[in-house]
This record gives sequence, C-alpha cells and structure tokens, in this order.
Amino acid sequence: MSEEETVATVDHLPDRWSRHRFMGLVGLTIFVALFLVSVALALYNSSGAAQLDLTRPGYQSVREQAGHSTSFDGFAANGPLNKETTDQFRTLYDTQAEKATNVDSFAGNAMDEQTLSIDAPSEN
Amino acid sequence: MKRVIIFISIVATAMVAGIIWQGSVKADNAPMTEAHIARIRANCVDAQSTLSQLHASDALLRVNRGQLYESISTKLMAPLNSRISLNRLDGVSLVAIAATYEGQLTYFRQSYQQYEEAMSDTLKINCTNQPVAFYDSVTDTRAKRKKVHESTVALHDTIRNYKDEFEAFAKQFDGGSQ
Repeated sequence: MSEEETVATVDHLPDRWSRHRFMGLVGLTIFVALFLVSVALALYNSSGAAQLDLTRPGYQSVREQAGHSTSFDGFAANGPLNKETTDQFRTLYDTQAEKATNVDSFAGNAMDEQTLSIDAPSEN
Repeated sequence: MKRVIIFISIVATAMVAGIIWQGSVKADNAPMTEAHIARIRANCVDAQSTLSQLHASDALLRVNRGQLYESISTKLMAPLNSRISLNRLDGVSLVAIAATYEGQLTYFRQSYQQYEEAMSDTLKINCTNQPVAFYDSVTDTRAKRKKVHESTVALHDTIRNYKDEFEAFAKQFDGGSQ
C-alpha cells in the first residue's frame, strides 16, 4: 500500500463514524436503558418490593382493600416519662397490639391436600 | 467361638434394623399411584384457581399485617425506648425485646418472600401435563406458608412480652396499678 492510499484510508475512518454516529448513539442509548431496567427489575424482585406491589396483575380483586392507615402518629420519642405518658402509651399500644394479634394470619387448612382435592384417593 | 457368635448376631441385628429402617423410609417416599396422579390431573385446574385466590388474599394480608407490625416497631417500641433512654431510666429489657421483635419482623418478611415465590412458581406449572411436579410444588409452598404463620405467631408472642415488660416498667410511675 502506497503512502497516499494509507492516508486516504485513515482519513476515511472519521467520515464513516460521522456518517453512522446518530445510529450509534441510538443503539448505545437503548443498550444503557435496557441495562438500567434490568438492574431495577432485579432490585425490585430481590428486595421484596414485588411482594408488596398490589398493582401487579392478579391482585385487582384485593387492591381496594389494602389499608391506607397513615393517621396513626404513634408515640413521641421526646418528652418526660410519668403516669400520664405511660397511660397514653398503654392506650396506643393496646389498640395496635389488638389489631395485630386478633387475626391468626396465614393459618388454616387453605392449602391442605383435601381442600384442594389432590389427596391420594382411598383404596376402598 | 462365643465371640464369633456374638459378632455374627450383632451384624445380623444391624442388617435387619437397616432393612426395616429402609422399608419405613421407602414407605414415606412411596411413589404416587396412577389413581392419585389421575386425581391430581382431574382437580388441579380448580386447585390452581383456589391457590390463585389464596395468593391474592395472602398478598393483601401481607400488606395490611406488615403495616401493623411495622408501626408497632417504628411508632411505639422505638420511640418509647428512645424516651426511656433520654430520661436516663433503665429500659434494657424493653430494648432487648424490641431487638428480638425487629429480628422476627425481618424473618417474617423473608419467609413471606420465599412463600410468595414458591406460590408463583406453583401457579406457573402446567398441572395437567405435570401433575407430580404440581403436587410437589404445592407441598413445598404449604411448608413455606406454615413458616410464615409461625413467624406471625412469634411476632404476636413478642408483642405480648413487650406489653408485659412495659407494665413492669410502668409500675414505678403508677404505684403498681395498671
């Protein structure tokens, strides 16, 4: 290859890049976006947020029943401790404790073989 | 000669015991009968529909119970412990119970996540084509749901323990009356 041809090839490279620069940027942007979405979805699934997300398909029936109780302010972390404040704490705690413990959650025979009719048939 | 007889009887006893034990293990893991597989195949679509509803209602339960459990920790236990500390009173046992509660809450979250993932996998199985896999998956999911239940029972016990300890602590302010 002569010196002139070498110079011509080197000069040609920037031209090729500038010709496809826009498409290259679009491709790079799509790649970065896909990568970031993958990371976000992985975090969404691994963090347990997916289990709390009632906007997912399949939860329409229960979505409206989710609690929106943001009115509970709780007990103030600052201030004196005396009979009045301990009584106040007792009232708040009893109310929340009653709500939390009055239901035996995730219990029952909902997943029993008999309930689902997938138990072994009797041999008689 | 006597030693040889004793040795042979020990070996024979061990072999018989081994055979009996193996038999019991096999009985526990007995292969499914064709009738059982046919029953699963016949009823599994209805079973999956029931499980799908349970999946949704458990998700709601998780959200609502979770909010309550969280609020007890962050809005009641932690502020009281902080106030006790700020007032330079002895609340070591209350802090210890609150720490136990936090640990149990973490376990509750983890066990629910495992249960939910197992349930999602169960619902994805084509049970008509894979009845045995479906049955095994239901068994696994049931065990994980039981763990979630146990974690809630532990949380309830700790909530009561904290209350008992609080009453003991509060006696110094109200002269023993509650």
